[in-house]
Amino acid sequence: MTPLDRRHVLLALTGLAAGAATPAVAALPEIDPEGARRIGQAYLDSHPGRRFDAGRLQGDLLPDGWTPEASARLRARAAADFRAGRLFIHRGWRLSDTEGRLFALAALTPP
Amino acid sequence: MPFIDAGDLPGDSEIVADLIVIGGGMAGLALAREWAGSARSVAVIESGGKTFDPAVQDLYRGAGVMRGPDSPDQPFDDYVGQSRRRMLGGSGMIWGGKCVALDPADFARRDWVPGSGWPISRAAIQPYYDRACDLLEIAHFPPGETGLDVAGKPALAIGDRKAFFSAPRRFTKFSGGVDKAAYDRWRFAPAEAANVTVYLNANVTELRLAADGQSLARLDLACLNGRRHTARGRVYVLATGGIENARLLLASNTVAAAGVGNGAGLVGRHFQGHVVFSVDDRKGGRTSGVYLSGTDNDMTLYTDGSKGAAHCVFAPTLAGQKARRGGNCTITLNSFRTPAPVDPELAALQQLAGGVDRGAPVARADRDLSCFVMTEHAPNPESRVSLGDSSDALGVPRVKLEWTWSEADWRRLESSVAAFGQALGEAGLGRLAFPAERSRYLAMAATSASRHHMGTTRMHRDPAQGVVDDTSRVHGVDNLYVAGSSVFPTSGIGNPTLTLLAMTMRLSDHLKSHLARAA
Repeated sequence: MTPLDRRHVLLALTGLAAGAATPAVAALPEIDPEGARRIGQAYLDSHPGRRFDAGRLQGDLLPDGWTPEASARLRARAAADFRAGRLFIHRGWRLSDTEGRLFALAALTPP
Repeated sequence: MPFIDAGDLPGDSEIVADLIVIGGGMAGLALAREWAGSARSVAVIESGGKTFDPAVQDLYRGAGVMRGPDSPDQPFDDYVGQSRRRMLGGSGMIWGGKCVALDPADFARRDWVPGSGWPISRAAIQPYYDRACDLLEIAHFPPGETGLDVAGKPALAIGDRKAFFSAPRRFTKFSGGVDKAAYDRWRFAPAEAANVTVYLNANVTELRLAADGQSLARLDLACLNGRRHTARGRVYVLATGGIENARLLLASNTVAAAGVGNGAGLVGRHFQGHVVFSVDDRKGGRTSGVYLSGTDNDMTLYTDGSKGAAHCVFAPTLAGQKARRGGNCTITLNSFRTPAPVDPELAALQQLAGGVDRGAPVARADRDLSCFVMTEHAPNPESRVSLGDSSDALGVPRVKLEWTWSEADWRRLESSVAAFGQALGEAGLGRLAFPAERSRYLAMAATSASRHHMGTTRMHRDPAQGVVDDTSRVHGVDNLYVAGSSVFPTSGIGNPTLTLLAMTMRLSDHLKSHLARAA
């Protein structure tokens, strides 16, 4: 597993193929880094008894970096979270736990 | 027959008719229209005149409070007097004209909602819904309708509509809030029939029972100019609104100390109403809303609230309610949210939702909608109308309203919000924001109360559980019936006017056959 840097994580969060750094992709706006970090930190704060680190989260969420398969898997996983009621509620927004963990990965990944 | 001002009649006049309708609002006038041109004489007894009169309106003034768990009581005095119109046409004068049939689920017995279950089904009332729609000149509401077929605006299907569906609403022009001239024609029309007389400025002060208490003997009437009269009919229909119906039954206590039809102590209890739960704190970045990441649907079907426009809200199916043991609710998409200074968290959240739902980043302002939630107010005997300590200008005790929410209502609200948020997310359509705290629910409710008053003379076949039977006849009183939303056992989430008109049509048919049999 190759550790991702924050830019690649942020690109991954928007569903972009981070590995395909084509000019077209590079021209797309990446997810708001400060917003992602803040939400990720809120996710971490909402689980005070648990220890998270970027490596484990990446292994769980994006073990092979960003791939089309990862996109489909995360979509299915988020849907399963919603179905099962595994939610992360931030400022009233109902997000899946998987989305909360993706933001947490952004917060923990060094720039 | 022309209109007759009861204040101009000689004192102690007696009005006699086959059918006496108490109240010239939408229910009473719809009933009179049904009987127009028949061989039966009809008298409509209306408190007000053709125009608004503050002195008449003052007869509605009362005391009120809204209560909920773990919150200070909210003063509600003004609401009691201001939420209705006491004049010919009734509260139709200020109605917005929005029509909707109750969902089939609303009629069902739901063992997780206390007091639920109507003694009639949606299928049984459907022909009357159709007639009520015809009366208001709107398209019918077929049972099981899950969206409107509007060209270019397909209804949004959330998860194959297993848990939530798109519930349509339609607008009639026959309301004071939409087309005053059209509504004037509507409210004046009954008096054009030779067999219908509309008495104005005639206030019922007592529904006078016969000595045996088994039937109504007459009505005692009073005018604000001091004249007093009586009215006598073969059958009487009380149609004065969800609060006033209970008030008149309770205040009519000369023969039965507890009031008319109140042997089980149920008159006035189970008051239900509709309120809106929403948050609109844009500066603080906390607004109830929906971000639609996974659809390109034209959402104006949901957001265009203008009169006459096709409109849909989201509502749970019976299966959806059963799965979470929750009540009915609606989620109304209101408008595009005003673009605020860029909120990085909101931007990140919307971009992520777009990525997860569509595999591509989207963060479009036109997908960012505000919303509000309405939840079913379950029947609760502690939510009630009773008589207060003071009396109005005619000596009738003023009303006291205790609109009471329970902890279970709040739980059902929260389960509805959770279920909708989960359904949207699971379907990959978007995300829901509902940043409301329970401690604020009551304050939200108190500032957003609708004029929908239901349940105070609830319908049930068992006299121990309802005030009227399944024909709308008051239990234990042979010739007294009730029309209006006070007979609703449960409130659903929908403007009650169409349903109360449908129930009035049903009552009309019953009375016609009843009088024919009696003859």
